[in-house]
Amino acid sequence: MKLLVCIKQVPDLESRFKPDAAGVWYNETDLAFRMNEYDEYAVEQAVQLREKLGEGTELTVLSIGPDRVVEAIKKSLAMGCDNAAHIQDQAASAKDPWQIASIIAAYAKDKAFDIIFTGMQSQDRGSAQVGVTIAEQLGFACTTTIVGFDYVDGTITAKRELEGGIKGVVKLKTPALVTCQLGLNVPRYPTLPNIMKAKKKEIVAIPVADLLTEESLTTTASFHPPAKKGGGIVLEGDVADLVEKVIAILKDKTTVLR
Amino acid sequence: MNFELSQDHKVLQSAVRDFVEKEIKPIAMKIDEEHMIPDSLVTKMAEMGFLGSYLPEEYGGAGLDMLSYAIVVEEVSKACGSSGVLISAHTSLCSGPIYSFGTEEQKKKWLPALNTGEKIGCFLLTEPDAGSDAGGTATTYTRDGDHFVINGSKTFITNGGYLGTGVLLASYDRSLKHKGITAFIVDLSSPGVTILKNENKMGIRGSYTTAFAFDNLRVPVENLLGLEGKGFNVAMDTLNGGRIGIASQALGIAEGAFERALAYSKERKQFGQAISEFQAIQFKLADMWTSIETSKLLTYRAACLKDAKKSYTMESAMCKMHASETATFVTKEAIQIHGGYGYIVDYEVERMYRDAKITEIYEGTNEVQRVVISKLLLS
Repeated sequence: MKLLVCIKQVPDLESRFKPDAAGVWYNETDLAFRMNEYDEYAVEQAVQLREKLGEGTELTVLSIGPDRVVEAIKKSLAMGCDNAAHIQDQAASAKDPWQIASIIAAYAKDKAFDIIFTGMQSQDRGSAQVGVTIAEQLGFACTTTIVGFDYVDGTITAKRELEGGIKGVVKLKTPALVTCQLGLNVPRYPTLPNIMKAKKKEIVAIPVADLLTEESLTTTASFHPPAKKGGGIVLEGDVADLVEKVIAILKDKTTVLR
Repeated sequence: MNFELSQDHKVLQSAVRDFVEKEIKPIAMKIDEEHMIPDSLVTKMAEMGFLGSYLPEEYGGAGLDMLSYAIVVEEVSKACGSSGVLISAHTSLCSGPIYSFGTEEQKKKWLPALNTGEKIGCFLLTEPDAGSDAGGTATTYTRDGDHFVINGSKTFITNGGYLGTGVLLASYDRSLKHKGITAFIVDLSSPGVTILKNENKMGIRGSYTTAFAFDNLRVPVENLLGLEGKGFNVAMDTLNGGRIGIASQALGIAEGAFERALAYSKERKQFGQAISEFQAIQFKLADMWTSIETSKLLTYRAACLKDAKKSYTMESAMCKMHASETATFVTKEAIQIHGGYGYIVDYEVERMYRDAKITEIYEGTNEVQRVVISKLLLS
């Protein structure tokens, strides 16, 4: 079997973000980057399946971006991916989800992957469109936001997270693509011996120009910090009334009462 | 010159950081209070490969380099100085000399169990009356057939309480001073080994600091490490490497305290503004960070020199001396920035201050480091 996991490197979300010179994305200077959290679940699930299937299964990790993304690729290799494709693109952050998905689909189309894993969304752009668009372009079955995964004889059984904490179970035949959500698994730490072994694994570098054929469909017009928050919501009225209002807000805006 | 870590080292740094954040930081205070690193943490660190980072893969190590080892000790020590020194003493002071001076048979016999953490390593040099002056070693040995028989006592032995594997220095003729000293690999679970006590200390309280008595400890002749009478060389070479580990530990402790002081200075408000708005605090932060960065450059450089198989005696002495003095300075200032809260256990910087002090003392006091540095300058 052939497996592919697609990962993105994103800034540490604790960073202080400033708009770039054009005002359409964030300035990358001084930011620390790491693997997108949802992609870590995707890598872990792909590696678990790779281990379960054993010999004869090949797991490739793919990332698009400048040289710095090789760090995230190497982490995936240390977690257990077999080899990697680095699609070199200095301007990946300026591409829309359609273009990113098209690049990945162009890479994957003649490689006969059986299952593709992606994160549910990236932590920076957060479109959640790339995974489903790859599946559409390749004609793969697809399901999203999975929190449970099993594979037996050409059939994936995936548990999905629906709104309000409700779960659903779907079955899909390979070739298929799944997007992975928090709660699916606990990603392993790359151990030192595996970091060493990863140094010997192959990373194929492919210039993005070899795969890019599509124009962007959407353009980011502006990137700016949110307006300064006011003093929060001030509730008024008698106690019973206030309790009702607080419960309604907690139900609506948080998961604590679900 | 390039002062950037390689991508491989960055991957390692971030992996160790994630592990430390989730597995060590939450229990660092408990480790100090209970004077004990839980066995479960030692096992997890061993599984991560922290106990054999730079030892070759053929002996069960991770096969990385000295810089990787320095990064591991630094990152672990940011959260817990006790766990940092466990790794440092184990690797630099026990696996290190066995790898450098051992025969192929000795490496194959002893290193795999050390690298997997099945045995925790220690270095038995210091004695009640021989600390910085290793030539005064009073533990003696005699030959009896195919064994050596060791008698005497050792003190302040980091990791001793695990009763794992040790590299032990003993003399066959005390009148020969350092020329009479020989190194042995010893299994501390053998008859003739008694723990006199595990010391109760100011800091690194989770780490064992053990006093031993040896009463006719029989060591097979094949456990001789290096040549008879050449133990002093083994000890000096071992301490050279060990100083990079202690510098890394000190650096990590300093960074851990700095992170807390920086965050606290931005949160704490007095006179209507964050205390980080006051120049008195700003200057402290500037001095602390500059010391940390200079310590880091010296420590990484010493590690890179060792990796390049170049002379690093002066560099390891300098990084150990500077990083340890940085650790006591930065942790002290971190308490001052926290004010009264810094004196309270819950804020953890007081523990870091207590942990920092030992780094000026062990693996050669800073006075000894100054002797090493000045001797090399004047030779």
